[in-house]
Amino acid sequence: MFHVVRSPAPLFRLLSPRGGVLVEAVRGRKSRNDPKAKSKADRVKLPPRIDPEEMVVLKERYEQYDLVVRALRAEFKQEIVRRRYENEVGSRAEERAKREAEEHRALMEWNDRENLRLRQLRVIRIQKQVEEEAKKRAEVVSLREEKRQSVLREKEKEILQLQEEVKTFITTENLEQRIEEALDNPKNYNFAIDKEGRIVKRTALP
Amino acid sequence: MPRYELTLIVKAMQRPETAATLKRTVEALMERGAVVRALESLGERALPYKISKHNVRHTRGGYFLVDFYSSPKMLPAFLDHLKRDVDVVRSTVLRNEEKETGSARCCVREPPSAK
Repeated sequence: MFHVVRSPAPLFRLLSPRGGVLVEAVRGRKSRNDPKAKSKADRVKLPPRIDPEEMVVLKERYEQYDLVVRALRAEFKQEIVRRRYENEVGSRAEERAKREAEEHRALMEWNDRENLRLRQLRVIRIQKQVEEEAKKRAEVVSLREEKRQSVLREKEKEILQLQEEVKTFITTENLEQRIEEALDNPKNYNFAIDKEGRIVKRTALP
Repeated sequence: MPRYELTLIVKAMQRPETAATLKRTVEALMERGAVVRALESLGERALPYKISKHNVRHTRGGYFLVDFYSSPKMLPAFLDHLKRDVDVVRSTVLRNEEKETGSARCCVREPPSAK
């Protein structure tokens, strides 16, 4: 009936004491409803024999022991309960609440001061940025204006120059005169240049 | 208006006839709405090679330059007209840019030293 079991489940091996093997009640060949064996038919199972005096002494000792242990247990339990109670409601609770409120206030104050400081810095920074931007824009505008002015001046100069040159243009009146002039002064654009860079403009016409 | 330069080679003629040809040409230009700036002569010279035009073989010719401003649209018609002129041997119209300074950079910046 009590077999030494090499159990297939390894979990049992882990829970068992070191070096020990697990002994458990395992039904061997017979199941629950099988009839008893003939050799075991008259077997009477008796509980283990006890000594009455020993029993009395043991019982007393066990009662005392039990009492003490139970008292201790109750004592400890009560202490824990009381501590918890006082933490939440009771003398310590108020102190804690006060402390926490204080901390909270201090932190909020610190936070506000930080915010103020940062805000000031930010305001200064933004102001500077705005000024920079305005200055840059003004610069750009002024540059553009200058460019435009210079272009205008160039154009005016050109126009004036052209107006001067218009006086030399050929019209129907001075056409004949100009033709005579041109025929009288033949121009020569030919020239010679050598490696030294000397220019010679006097060339013979074929 | 863009500025053009007309290089004209006219037949080698006496002075009054040359003058008449030039006058004809310039008036043709002005008729077509051009503004003639200047007229230069490069003299009467030998042509670099013999040119046949209007059934005549030319050896010498008078070279003339005409600066003018005009619309580009009238140029083909004008060149056509010049082709038909008997006294004109060769004519070429080139674009003349207004800007002289700036972009044109010569490679020979300064005269090279003793070489």
